[in-house]
Amino acid sequence: MTPRHLFRRGMAALLALGVTAPMLAGQGTDPLAKLDTASRRVVLALVDSANAEGLPTAPIVSKAQEGVSKHAAGPLIARVVRTVFLSLREARATLGEHANRDELTAGAAALQAGIPATALIDLRQAGHGKSITVPLVVLADLVSRGVPRDTASRAILQLWMGGAGEADLMGLSQSVGQDILSGAAPADALLSRARKVPIRLPPAKVPE
Amino acid sequence: MFEPTKRNAALPALLLALALPQSGISAQVSTRLQAGAVMSAAPGLVPANALSLTPDVRYHSQVLSLAASGSAWLDGNSWEFADGDATATVTTPTRHHLSAQLIANASREYYDRINQNDQIDARARVHLVFSQQGGMWLESGVARPWRVAVVSSVDVAGAGAWTQVGGATITGTYTNFSFTKIGSASDSNGTLQSCANQADNSRCLRQSHFSDVQGTVHWEKSSVELNAQTGYRFGDANDVTPDSRRWASASAVVWLSPDMAMVVGGGRQPANPARGLPARNYANLGVMFSAWPAMTEGAVPIESRASAISQFDIAAAGASLQRIQVHIAGVQTVEVMGDFTDWQPIDMVQRGRDLWEALLPIASGVHQLNVRVDGGKWQPPPNTPTMRDGFNGEVGVLVIRR
Repeated sequence: MTPRHLFRRGMAALLALGVTAPMLAGQGTDPLAKLDTASRRVVLALVDSANAEGLPTAPIVSKAQEGVSKHAAGPLIARVVRTVFLSLREARATLGEHANRDELTAGAAALQAGIPATALIDLRQAGHGKSITVPLVVLADLVSRGVPRDTASRAILQLWMGGAGEADLMGLSQSVGQDILSGAAPADALLSRARKVPIRLPPAKVPE
Repeated sequence: MFEPTKRNAALPALLLALALPQSGISAQVSTRLQAGAVMSAAPGLVPANALSLTPDVRYHSQVLSLAASGSAWLDGNSWEFADGDATATVTTPTRHHLSAQLIANASREYYDRINQNDQIDARARVHLVFSQQGGMWLESGVARPWRVAVVSSVDVAGAGAWTQVGGATITGTYTNFSFTKIGSASDSNGTLQSCANQADNSRCLRQSHFSDVQGTVHWEKSSVELNAQTGYRFGDANDVTPDSRRWASASAVVWLSPDMAMVVGGGRQPANPARGLPARNYANLGVMFSAWPAMTEGAVPIESRASAISQFDIAAAGASLQRIQVHIAGVQTVEVMGDFTDWQPIDMVQRGRDLWEALLPIASGVHQLNVRVDGGKWQPPPNTPTMRDGFNGEVGVLVIRR
């Protein structure tokens, strides 16, 4: 084989490598590739368990990816992902088999925030078949901002029962957050703002 | 301020900037055009008044930044190409509070028909950043001016520190300059100097050293930006003329709309011995038009421009896309990540003075996200419900409905 042929073959091989390497790399993308082996094994086991139980797996994988992106340690990621899995399982047990994925995700977030399961059941029963995703999101938000769990649970339940819409609840979350940033006590901020939610609710029903 | 590293070769860099792809949402090009009047006066020279047009084009991505600017002056009845500047900067990501920068620059300085020259230079900087609230850097570099009495390269070494106090960014720098030049055999006081290499009876080759200490304050709020700086030069009478010992200048930019601003400024500019340019007083007044205006001028490093996000919006933009908008002024980068990006950071693109935008496919449902400004801490966007992320932080929660 002449040097010219060798050169041509070499160039062809390089060209082929250049074209196929990125494709191969793309096929092999593993969202958990950056996790250490032990933590990755835990996360994969939890994903398998979620699959087996009919729970959504996306929140579990997503939490692991989030931990990796935020440079959290592998064992911590595994622990947090396990909490998500257990919360999803509890949310499903609480909200029932017919809870959709968003409700399960929001319910799991509320449970992780420390909202008692009974509060989720009350919201479900008060919703008359409506999706309780937004009330659950707002509930978890209020508690994460420092509103006592019982106060937050009662207020949201009362508003939900009184016919408050999703936009009302999202607006409530926003204004309470602003009040707290301005120095108001979290519980006072919620109760004060809850009274201003435009629903036809007897005053006595708003928790004092 | 003595900056031997600034200002020719503007056209190639400008063309390069325009030719570079915007690579989706990870890089951007911004443009500005300033039109106004400039008045300057140097000792012993006739004061110059000119109308000027100053275009400015910048390409910015996380790693590479290119900037090209120039100015044309109406001198008599004809327009004349005056200053020009092209800069390329490569910045590494910040790891363990450290990042590095390589800066290459080519420039042309124009005071008048006599006082003008060109220079190329390269610098390396190492930044140490503390929680986006302060930092410091060390730098070293070399510059080569042309058409001046300097017969060697100019060695530049320096350090700087910055901090944020309220809405203001305060920066202090120390820069030392060292070079060989053909100078007068006597200093500015008339005293005869000893020369290592005498060129003739009146001129000799001299080693020059001097150091600049400079403080800068940048403050901006709403539609107003203010910059002020002052400095002092250390060095002997051979290298530092009395009119360049101290200097101060200030400028203000008032944004009348997201695309147009009034610019006013003035002050004293010290001599630039390495480029043979005298000290001068100046004042300028103009109007600036901007398309996706990017960075505010200043020697402050990228990491220092964090400030609060004033508004966060998300709205449907087609069948499956959502337009995320963040309103924040005076920053260099804004990123977003969430479950809809597999928690991979996405650079937002600047669409106005304080408007950053990303167009992303986000399915209906409940989503979690974070935003980050100038490489700082990942935070939930304002006015969204939040929850703990489990990693000592918080995420914002979006509920997308179709």
